[in-house]
Amino acid sequence: MTLLKKLTPILGLLLMAQTALAAPQRYHLQTDLSSVGFETDFGPDKITGTMPIRTADLTLDFAHVAASKVTVTLDAAGSQASFPFAAQAMRGPKVLNTAEFPEISFVSTSVVPQDQGATVAGNITIRGVTQPASFHAEIWRQQGTVAGDLSHLTIRLTGAVLRSQFGAVGWSDMVGDEVRLDILARIERAN
Amino acid sequence: MLRNDATHFGLVSRLIHWAMAALILSLLVLGTQLKTMQPGLANLWLYGLHKSLGLTALVLVAVRLVWHRISPPPAPIGPPRAWENRLAKAVHRLTYALLILIPLAGWAYASATGLDILFANRWVIPPIAPVSEAWENAAHLAHSVLTKILMGVLALHVLGALRRGIEGDGTLDRMIGG
Ligand code: HEM
Repeated sequence: MTLLKKLTPILGLLLMAQTALAAPQRYHLQTDLSSVGFETDFGPDKITGTMPIRTADLTLDFAHVAASKVTVTLDAAGSQASFPFAAQAMRGPKVLNTAEFPEISFVSTSVVPQDQGATVAGNITIRGVTQPASFHAEIWRQQGTVAGDLSHLTIRLTGAVLRSQFGAVGWSDMVGDEVRLDILARIERAN
Repeated sequence: MLRNDATHFGLVSRLIHWAMAALILSLLVLGTQLKTMQPGLANLWLYGLHKSLGLTALVLVAVRLVWHRISPPPAPIGPPRAWENRLAKAVHRLTYALLILIPLAGWAYASATGLDILFANRWVIPPIAPVSEAWENAAHLAHSVLTKILMGVLALHVLGALRRGIEGDGTLDRMIGG
């Protein structure tokens, strides 16, 4: 995140660029440069981990932020955690059941500008169960790009889900219900 | 010396007996601790320790049973039909049964959770039950209930041994000193 801190939030900049980019722009994920971090409570400690992002399809409309759309799929089966049992427990049938549901997906239904970023509301599907969820989004120009160049962006989505709402209830006596997500996606404008 | 004879326990039987006594006592304390503690990163290793010691206990029961085939233990001191000896025999049989069933239930329980069982934090032990909540609950219940029965049975065993020790009939002495 230190890298991110160095980057200037560019929503304002994006808004300034709105005249130049009046049309919605499609973006693709730069898979290797993107990841999902998650964290949950484990007794007095925390379990942290990562999950690869499989696909992300974004249509960003800088003129009408509300018209933007985000679809993300995560590779739940490829998730890693801070200790081996946690990863195994998480992928197992009592939690994400990745043998049957290898992906987690999120499809936005609304994007509302807020502070430095936006609130992205939508539906998240975990273990085949779809529930509404909302994330706070911030967007930056990637390091190394010049001001006004919106071809490569970094988008960070933060939020939380309650795993019990998706039936992912395993080990609920020892592992917290709230799973905090921190999705860092680097995206590239489609030609 | 190593083998049992008609009136004495040999070193092998005695070592197995006391190693198992220490092991079972530790397992009962450790298991109860697992049940009551708040799991966290600092104490997660206790689960691994309990599983490794529990599997060791299972191996030791098997070794003991095999050894008693090779080198049969001495007959009980006193008339075989005395109530003490009949009760002692029943307690011993029940203890063996529990010491086989309890670790098997623990192993099945741990298998059914779907998590790897590591021996000595190193070797993966194959599962003996399918990953299923029904198996998990049943095996956990069995492990829990059978260990409570074991506690009662062991209390009888220890009381009986102490009584013989106080009476000085030689039973406790020959398990300690041969
Ligand atoms: C002779 C061998 C064993 C003894 C005497 C023993 C004893 C115990 C006891 C007294 C408990 C607490 C049960 C309760 O109050 O509900 C316990 C829990 C447990 N045992 Fe064992 N155990 C043995 C072998 C094993 C083995 C071989 C395994 C797995 C490979 C195992 C896995 C567990 C686990 C995971 C718990 C925790 C259950 C919980 O959190 O509720 N045990 N054990």
